[in-house]
Amino acid sequence: METTAPVPGAAPEDAASPAPVRRHRARWAVPAAAVVAVGAAFAAPPLLATADTAGLPEVTPEELVARVLEAEPQALSGTVVHTARLGLPDLSLAEVGGADPIGLLGGSSTLRVWTDGEQRSRVSLLGQASEYSVVADGAQAWTYSSSDDEVVHYALSEADRARLDALAAERAAAPEVAGDLPTPEEIGRAALARAEQHATVGVDAATTVAGRDAYQAVVTPAGADTLVGRIVVAVDAQTWTPLRVQVWSSDDAETPALEVGFTDVAFAAPSDQVLTFSPPPGADVREVVVPLPQHPVDPPAGAPDADALAEALEDPTAEPPLPEGVTVTGDGWDAVVQVANVDVAGLLAADPAAVAELAVPQKTFGSAGAQELYEQFVPQDGEGPVPDLDQQALYDQLTTPVEGGRLLESSLLSVLVLDDGRVLAGAVPAQTLLDLAG
Amino acid sequence: MSPADVAAPARAAEDARYAPRRGALGRLLRSELRLVLGRRRNVVLLVGLALVPVLLGLVLFLTRDTALAGQGPPFVTSVTSNGLFLVVASLFLCLPFLLPLTIGIASGDAVAGEAAAGTLRYLLVVPVGRTRLLLVKACAALAFAAAAVLAIAVVGLVAGAVLFGLGDLTLLSGDTIPLSAGVLRVAGVVAYVGLSMTGLVAVGLFFSTLTEVPVGAMAATVVVAVVSSVLGQLPQLEVIHPYLLTTHWFDFAEMLRIRPDGGVLAEGLAVQAAWVAVFGSLAWARFTTADVSS
Repeated sequence: METTAPVPGAAPEDAASPAPVRRHRARWAVPAAAVVAVGAAFAAPPLLATADTAGLPEVTPEELVARVLEAEPQALSGTVVHTARLGLPDLSLAEVGGADPIGLLGGSSTLRVWTDGEQRSRVSLLGQASEYSVVADGAQAWTYSSSDDEVVHYALSEADRARLDALAAERAAAPEVAGDLPTPEEIGRAALARAEQHATVGVDAATTVAGRDAYQAVVTPAGADTLVGRIVVAVDAQTWTPLRVQVWSSDDAETPALEVGFTDVAFAAPSDQVLTFSPPPGADVREVVVPLPQHPVDPPAGAPDADALAEALEDPTAEPPLPEGVTVTGDGWDAVVQVANVDVAGLLAADPAAVAELAVPQKTFGSAGAQELYEQFVPQDGEGPVPDLDQQALYDQLTTPVEGGRLLESSLLSVLVLDDGRVLAGAVPAQTLLDLAG
Repeated sequence: MSPADVAAPARAAEDARYAPRRGALGRLLRSELRLVLGRRRNVVLLVGLALVPVLLGLVLFLTRDTALAGQGPPFVTSVTSNGLFLVVASLFLCLPFLLPLTIGIASGDAVAGEAAAGTLRYLLVVPVGRTRLLLVKACAALAFAAAAVLAIAVVGLVAGAVLFGLGDLTLLSGDTIPLSAGVLRVAGVVAYVGLSMTGLVAVGLFFSTLTEVPVGAMAATVVVAVVSSVLGQLPQLEVIHPYLLTTHWFDFAEMLRIRPDGGVLAEGLAVQAAWVAVFGSLAWARFTTADVSS
């Protein structure tokens, strides 16, 4: 109930008297207070969340790396924010097509991660009204894209599965998935596992990630030429799980070029419902048989760092090094991988996985004639000999023409595609690649 | 009638407030709801909104065996396999403009409409204080917003069931949940969309207390929604995106993920609550201090 009498009419004697005016002013203090209260409510939690990390025992760099590599992978679920500032051209295509791994190349993306710490996991890339999921379930894996309702099932062939069973493989034989999604714990482990080869490891001040105390390992590449300034891995102080990875470019000391980190994490086993997948009725299921390597554990000799980086960047134009025609120049972080006789256009078109990864929205034309004409040139399932027009456009958009080829430049990785079929890639400045190409 | 003539009876009404008659508030609320939901313009708006799922359903039904099937924005592509998605698809299509437009019309009209028609001073004669009168107006505007969302949802459900049938729901993550759980998820979507409109209602109510020209208040409300979504598109303004009125509207998709994250939904609702707090109190400060001359 009101206690003050507002002025109902334009009564001159009331307007002249000071008391109602003062009361009126007092009323306007309420919205002002509401603004302050709302501002405080939204600003306070992040300020209060700065936890005290002073109580953490000291740790040496060697000890930290060893603890991370020895730690059992934990069952966890959480939300990951992936931010890339690679200095690539703006990819407006990605926003149109819904959640798509290509969107990880620029801007901020949110992912949800569930893993049982062993062989099963689910990682979902969230779009505004779409989702792209990668579900790994032992020796098989699924990807599902809600924007085109397509399921891709990766599995071993019968013979390979029998061989794997015979080996009783120690290491999880999760098949390679085209368009796999990055998670901090995987990238963090990979970065630290390779750290000792061509880099120095230090320890930075402890920090807080996703509300948990974390040590920070700083990996500084030894190479003088590399674009990677340093990699900072924040490691959970209790479980030794990497919670955040920041890759700093050597030209930008202000913000990391790539940041993958949990904003929210819980170390508990997720339910089976989340870790299993069965294709929804009516979805297109594409089967991909993944060959089991003849020598199960035999990573390619060529620069694992550049390879890992290419993976981390989800770069569609950086093909993993092939056994034949691959040469590596330089070592460690300065390494440049050179692959000869690559038919880029053909590779993109012939590799259905790459096509799936670059899936673009279905094209519709007003007239049936135009639709038919388009379909003649562009096969609907994207598996034909003609590369998808949009994919070609994407490639053209990402790369710039240089003498004798095309160049992709980003703040962490350079790729040079030459007209003579050679592809050079490395975490080095573009000029190094151009010099090498001669 | 000059303002001076109005002053006397209005003053009497303000004084009568000190001895409020029992049930006056309830009667006022009932009559206000009847007025808002029964007003022909508002009924036409609701029918227009209800036609969206019908038209969308018919278009998808007629084109489902042609080459054009399975194309379109998110959710629309799923409608032909499950009628339940017609509700979600219709809300998705109405959310950017049609829904804010109708809600802007109803809430912008709340006080300014009375002022323009010259009935506001008579309303002040009712033995109910201005604060409560504003509350009644807000309730009526919220009721219209709820009716607008429900009109789309209910008609969408019926049309979807008739045209395509209902079945197990395929979530955005590709997992399938049974129909009963699916209906609950879609009900959650509808509830979230409805609650997402509360901030806009508060903004409309505030503009409505500022002017005696209802069209101005309606337009200003719609402009706020449109400007907010335009600002939401600009990457340069990423810092303010979380606090914009429209940013979280489409977070209803969270309900259709395998594990809906309560934090995401709570954040969206908290932003709406903040807009309601700020613009509701602004409307209150304005309405209880304004000189009412018409």
